[in-house]
Amino acid sequence: MTVQPVFTKSLQAMAPAEYRLHARSWLAANLPAHMRADSTDWRAPALEESVSWEARMYRAGLAGMTWPVEYGGHGLTLREHLIANKEIGAVMMPESAGSVGKELAGPIIMAVGTEDQKQAFLPRILTLEDMWCQGFSEPDAGSDLARLRTRAVPHDGGWRINGQKIWTSGASKADYCLLLTRTGTIEDRHKGMLMFAVPMSTPGIRVVPIKSIDGKVSFAEVFFDDVIVPDEARLGAPDEGWDAAIRVLSIERATNRMYRPWRFETELRALLRGLKSDPELAVLLDDGAVRDRIGQVLGQIDALKGFVEGSVEQLLDGAQIGARGSLSKLYWSECHQAFAGLALDLVGHVTPRSSGLAQRIRDHFTTAYLFARAETIYAGTTEVQLDIIAQRILKLPKDLQK
Amino acid sequence: MSSDDHGLLPAELAEAARPAIAEARGKPARDAARILAEAGLTGVCAQEDDGGMALGLSFALAIAEEAGAGQLRFPLLDQILLAQAFAGQDIAGRIAAGEALGVIGWEGARDGLLRLSDDCDCDVVLVPTGQGADLIERAGLTATPTPLLDPDAPQIWLDVGAARKIGSLSGEQMADLRRAGEALYGGFVTGAAANALALSSDYLAARVQFGRPLSSKQAVRHHLARMKLLLEMSRAALARSLARDELGNPRDTRPAFLGAVGNAIWTLEKAIHLHGGMGFTWEVPLHYSLRDIRKIETAFGAGRLARQVAQDFIRAA
Repeated sequence: MTVQPVFTKSLQAMAPAEYRLHARSWLAANLPAHMRADSTDWRAPALEESVSWEARMYRAGLAGMTWPVEYGGHGLTLREHLIANKEIGAVMMPESAGSVGKELAGPIIMAVGTEDQKQAFLPRILTLEDMWCQGFSEPDAGSDLARLRTRAVPHDGGWRINGQKIWTSGASKADYCLLLTRTGTIEDRHKGMLMFAVPMSTPGIRVVPIKSIDGKVSFAEVFFDDVIVPDEARLGAPDEGWDAAIRVLSIERATNRMYRPWRFETELRALLRGLKSDPELAVLLDDGAVRDRIGQVLGQIDALKGFVEGSVEQLLDGAQIGARGSLSKLYWSECHQAFAGLALDLVGHVTPRSSGLAQRIRDHFTTAYLFARAETIYAGTTEVQLDIIAQRILKLPKDLQK
Repeated sequence: MSSDDHGLLPAELAEAARPAIAEARGKPARDAARILAEAGLTGVCAQEDDGGMALGLSFALAIAEEAGAGQLRFPLLDQILLAQAFAGQDIAGRIAAGEALGVIGWEGARDGLLRLSDDCDCDVVLVPTGQGADLIERAGLTATPTPLLDPDAPQIWLDVGAARKIGSLSGEQMADLRRAGEALYGGFVTGAAANALALSSDYLAARVQFGRPLSSKQAVRHHLARMKLLLEMSRAALARSLARDELGNPRDTRPAFLGAVGNAIWTLEKAIHLHGGMGFTWEVPLHYSLRDIRKIETAFGAGRLARQVAQDFIRAA
């Protein structure tokens, strides 16, 4: 896969300040107004529009920054990854339609895939030619994956898979499922886990969409009934794939979506601009209690920025990231959820006679508030993160010390 | 950071400072000043010509956290800040050497009255004004203590109407000092919170109820995990606030300071709660930190500061 450059100087030759300027100016010049949530021209992008936009971002050097060049990446460091994320956070663009591929499937394939699998899958994840969904959670196995029941048994040189997945984001649009199964029985708990890259077009797969709280159909139940896949679909040996996934995911939790604190700040600014655009609403911002809350939010944003930047420095110094990702996920999700509540409270004052920008902001934050309910649930609930911090960081004993 | 830090890391300096902070703790102010000066701490950021170590604020931040964790009830941070701000003047050398004591009245005087967290029988007081700050002599000024929050180290209302001015800072110098002060006091309260978390974790791991340590209870574990979360977020925000932005400009230290104070108050109040009846006693030393943090919150006018931060952001949005 050859990256088609859309810039005159190679990314690798750019100094950090040049790369930052490139990212900033490219986004400013190329993000269509209808994809900016703080624009009165905004409309919900169609899937093809999102895919096309993200593929362009990738070609501009703003996705796949740290992936190796031989697998379609740009071969840059986490430093450039952070720079790009800061600029991505500074604009109200849509969330990635290909995040499962880029944040989950890609890094896991990079860690445990065969050379053929890496060549086949990785470049197409970055170009969004292949979309992925995540098949981990099950009705009886949410936070506790030891209760996983979906089973893979050897079959004619390949594997036969039976089971059910749930909360599978993007399943109806996905080309592949990153599927976690077990080869033994439920009594084996975490032993015998086996991971696959399963084409969603394989006979026996049935997707049943689930409508979520924000009215969208963003995830689904996925049923696997006698699904036969070749052995080439296997990612790593039994246990190997899942063990590697655990390691990869702890890093990914700390490095994925680093744009969050910068986006958080951009959202706050957009909220304020929307309210300030209408004199009737601008007076809300004179309220001392509102200002207290905004002051708090700004402190939280600064903390998150510092934490993300500190994590990058540690990783660049070769330090182990450990459970650090749990701290940022927990803090961001709770602070952002509280902010969404404040925003909903404020946009509740918007009327049909308010300014166009105010009405746009009302629509955005009403949906954002509803979607924010998911933030303390997905990618490890608040309670799971607190357990991880207590267990792995504080090492608090559960039993009497001998 | 200083260009001549001899390869020393802030955390290493903080560790080296620990014995001096422990020795100074509980001593009369003049004795504490001498001990801390001998360890180089009062002059950590002062120029070498003033007897200082000329290190950057990241070193002072590490010392501030150590002082907070060590429950040092002496205005070490004010000495560090004044010895740096009055570089090249006699008072800077005297403060760095522990021969003179200074304190800062962060909010400035209102109707001729200046609030101090603890005047420590000091020699000089820095009084911010609209244009900068005046350094005044403490001797001869009338002090009215308000001892209820902290009987051991009462807050003081100082009548500065007839004060003798012996030095001054420009508006720019005072802005630099205020930024540094917010970061360092943020570090101090964060150190206090770190100590409260450590004391609570140890106590709850050892305290057995219903046949198991209290730290086995999920409600307790989650409180301690939240303390750790807030501690690390305060540290991250404070360290970032001292680093220059991408364009080389100084950052706003107020949000990090305010966050650190809010986080530390939550942590101390929760730590006292988690110690049960013991936490409510004078004997368990958590209350000293709570008093200190609340006094710092008041000294900087944290509530007003938070609204000011918001107002600035709203205006610029």
